[in-house]
Amino acid sequence: MSGPGTERVTTPDLSVTLGGLELAHPVLNASGTFDVIEARRRFGAAALDPFPFSAYVPKTVTLEPREGNPPPRVTETAAGMINAVGLQNPGLDAWLADLDALVDVPVPVVMNVGGGRPEDYLEVVRRVEARLAAGAGAGERLPDIVGYELNVSCPNVGRGGLAIGTEPAETERLTAAARALTGRLLIVKLTPNVTDVVAVARAAADAGADALSLVNTLKALVLDPDTLRPFLGNRTGGLSGPAIKPVALRMVWEIAGTLDLPLIGMGGIASGRDVLEFVACGATAVAAGAVNFTAIDAPRRIVAELREELAVRGLSSLADARGRALG
Amino acid sequence: MDRWPDRPTDAAVDSAAQAGCATATSGSFRVIERRSFGRYALLTLLAPEVAAVAQPGQFVMASVPGEGFHLRRPLSLHSVDGERVRLLVEPRGEGSRTLAAAGVADVLSLAGPLGSGFPLDDLSSVLLVGGGIGTAPFQFVADALGARGLPMTAVFGFRDADQARLAGAFDIDDLYLATDDGSVGRRGTAVELAREVGAGPGASVLACGPAPMLAATRAWAREAGLSGFASLEAHMACGTGSCHGCVVRTRRGFLRVCVDGPVFSFDTLALGPS
Repeated sequence: MSGPGTERVTTPDLSVTLGGLELAHPVLNASGTFDVIEARRRFGAAALDPFPFSAYVPKTVTLEPREGNPPPRVTETAAGMINAVGLQNPGLDAWLADLDALVDVPVPVVMNVGGGRPEDYLEVVRRVEARLAAGAGAGERLPDIVGYELNVSCPNVGRGGLAIGTEPAETERLTAAARALTGRLLIVKLTPNVTDVVAVARAAADAGADALSLVNTLKALVLDPDTLRPFLGNRTGGLSGPAIKPVALRMVWEIAGTLDLPLIGMGGIASGRDVLEFVACGATAVAAGAVNFTAIDAPRRIVAELREELAVRGLSSLADARGRALG
Repeated sequence: MDRWPDRPTDAAVDSAAQAGCATATSGSFRVIERRSFGRYALLTLLAPEVAAVAQPGQFVMASVPGEGFHLRRPLSLHSVDGERVRLLVEPRGEGSRTLAAAGVADVLSLAGPLGSGFPLDDLSSVLLVGGGIGTAPFQFVADALGARGLPMTAVFGFRDADQARLAGAFDIDDLYLATDDGSVGRRGTAVELAREVGAGPGASVLACGPAPMLAATRAWAREAGLSGFASLEAHMACGTGSCHGCVVRTRRGFLRVCVDGPVFSFDTLALGPS
């Protein structure tokens, strides 16, 4: 008989528990990189069966509609891409009016909330809670909105976003106020654009966050090669993709080594091996982002590869790999 | 004040977009033929799922799978022939260079057909105005107009003789060429050529090319009392409506080139001076 590590496991257990939420596997989508409604329109419902993610995170919703930044907004960079979309979205009222479109999403939905002022974030949470309570009271069929991800880390908006997420005190205040408004899962999405990510993470944890997701994009600049002027309409943008994976891994590793709360790792995840590395650094779950732009079946491939990565290591569950890089 | 006469409505474009609903495929498709026109490549792919539902003016997102992270690139459908689709590729950056270098038996990762396409049903006669690689969708358009028996003229503008080799990728009877340096066809721009060739009353102008060409075409069409549509190019990440990376400023706010377009009525666009 061979011991663990030498024997191939046929069906490793990929299930994870994220702040009380049971997920079939650890791969979520990063907000803004996959739109279930648009994907259905383009490719049909059959292309999303089985659903590629274990939980669905829609694009950031803000209280008021946001036009977003002037184009150009995206371009490829070495091993990644840069974007400065600027949280274009129709605003909370329009989002709530279209809530029906998410009813058939077969996995839990985590609403990603952005804003200018802290009060805007809170008003979104307040109104969503009221809407869900009213709908539930009326016996309405509602999407399975299990929680919120507070986007305090978008580098592409003038106010809010980074201005909150780079300040531990601001992050703590907002998280505590949001905590008071909801019993649902509360996730704070952290920025890598700080000197001490653990300080911000601790502030969110102390204020009652159930989990942290990290990292959002790295603030970056790309020039137009002909004019030598900033290429993006917003001038600066956010770098994502495999280029930032080592930065994200380091930050997950630092926080997991210090704090005891579930982490959703993100930043350049493109393969099952990448997922395994984030989990080894202490992440409970992960979110795939830029890779979603390369193929609709990318997340399913990643999950299949993760199973294989565990199997060849003789690991019977993802939990067995968690935190291996720590200590 | 900013209206064009006899224009098919935005609703026509929207319904063309709707017609493309839930018909795209994401998969791998093999290159079965490659032709070179100077540095440009015309790739023929066996892609029955795409060919069966494609409309003129639609595009695909394509890449050559390999090591490392690469976004797919938007490419117009140059033409559709039975179960085959053709893509005309200009090697520009790293992604398009790799695509243009794809050879027979190579497999492309591809999603499509995507976008709205040109609304061809309500047209009586058509002038096609193409610039550079923006000529790419016009073989498909010309084939569809020919099948409908609609009178059609095409004017293509290129920078120089090298770029004008693109014209070899087209089989259009009534095709006029211009180059900026006069090395092929008339000296001047596609719009100057369009002005010279002219279009009958009630003709529709379908344009695709660089932004300055589109702005000039629209200005000329307006002056001549012609309605029309422009197909836009944009940097895209997803190409499928998720990321909001490819927007263009229009009279209806920022619209996504990938799903609200790439074809927009001249009326909708806020292109340069109008």
